[in-house]
Amino acid sequence: MEPLKVVVAGPVGAGKSTIIRTLSETEVVDTDALASEEIGKETTTVAMDYGTLHLGDQLLYLFGTPGQDRFDFMWDVLSEGALGLLMLVRGDRPEDFGPARRLLDYITSRHPVPYVLGVTRQDQPPVWGPDEVAPFFGVPLERVVGLNAKDPRSAVGPLVRLLELIMAEEQAT
Amino acid sequence: MSLDDLLPFISSRDGALELFNLRRLPRVTLYFRKGRLNCVYLGSKPVDALQARSVIGELIEARKGSFEFIPNAQPRVCPEVLGWPVDHLLISVTTTSDEYAQLADRLPHPETVFELTHIAVPDDTRISDFWKRAHIYLQEGASAQQLATKLGMPVDHARFYLLKLQQLGAVVAVRASQKQKRERRAGVAARLLGSLKKRFFGEGSAWSH
Repeated sequence: MEPLKVVVAGPVGAGKSTIIRTLSETEVVDTDALASEEIGKETTTVAMDYGTLHLGDQLLYLFGTPGQDRFDFMWDVLSEGALGLLMLVRGDRPEDFGPARRLLDYITSRHPVPYVLGVTRQDQPPVWGPDEVAPFFGVPLERVVGLNAKDPRSAVGPLVRLLELIMAEEQAT
Repeated sequence: MSLDDLLPFISSRDGALELFNLRRLPRVTLYFRKGRLNCVYLGSKPVDALQARSVIGELIEARKGSFEFIPNAQPRVCPEVLGWPVDHLLISVTTTSDEYAQLADRLPHPETVFELTHIAVPDDTRISDFWKRAHIYLQEGASAQQLATKLGMPVDHARFYLLKLQQLGAVVAVRASQKQKRERRAGVAARLLGSLKKRFFGEGSAWSH
């Protein structure tokens, strides 16, 4: 059975690497390097993160895209033919909403990929919730899920929602 | 001397300010009359209001170039008399430049496609000039790159205007999933969902939103 891929995207520091580490059953291959500019953390992903998840007999690849604009070619490469897109944004950093919306709009306007917006750091209030974030991104509330990327039962939430939305769409057509 | 210093100095006089040796523009001629900028030529052709704003913005950013003032010169042809008071123009363009710098990481990607949500001309003249020229293309869906080509303006300016229209709710990004068919994988989502819930929540557990 052909493996399927899920793309995890978002601005620098949104929690992409964390969620993949949390969900992956194999050791995550990451490409972190020392940040060459001030981005609020010491290292950042420069190519992609990669993890796997076996669900029954189906292999799922989890690909995390680098957050910086200069790697935007990776967004296209990874989104092509993906099962779905998980766009992450930090709920305690509203200044990142603009760059995240820019990335979500770019990928979803070029690729017919189902998507869910994950709002991270829900365990660390004060934080923006899904109902507050959805209008900014211009997406239906059903596509926005709050999560804590370090907690497996919470981190899996956006993936569950993504699959539910794909199922609902399939049933509607 | 920068253009924002130069303009107030000469704008009270009637005539033409020619700017040349510019890095990103051909020769630009600004025609003034009674403290107003009435016409802008790019090379040998007059430009419309939208392009004129872009040209002024680029001139302010250019910082380097040569100029010559020709007293009492007026254009032979000026299809669209701008009539912009120079002081208002400078504030407007400078504000746009400052705003642009602040918004750099939020400006839409040049290839993101947007479409109109409703037909209503924005009040702000900076944006309405763009809207009037762009809305016909945005009805069908267009990117900043496409609009820049069609409207003869720098792509970064088109990105700025699209962001402004998006903030006003006048345009939204097109979701390709609503326009294009994608590969269907019948039953896969249901199968994966079952396995996922079993793995993370255990047999018989329900995941609660």
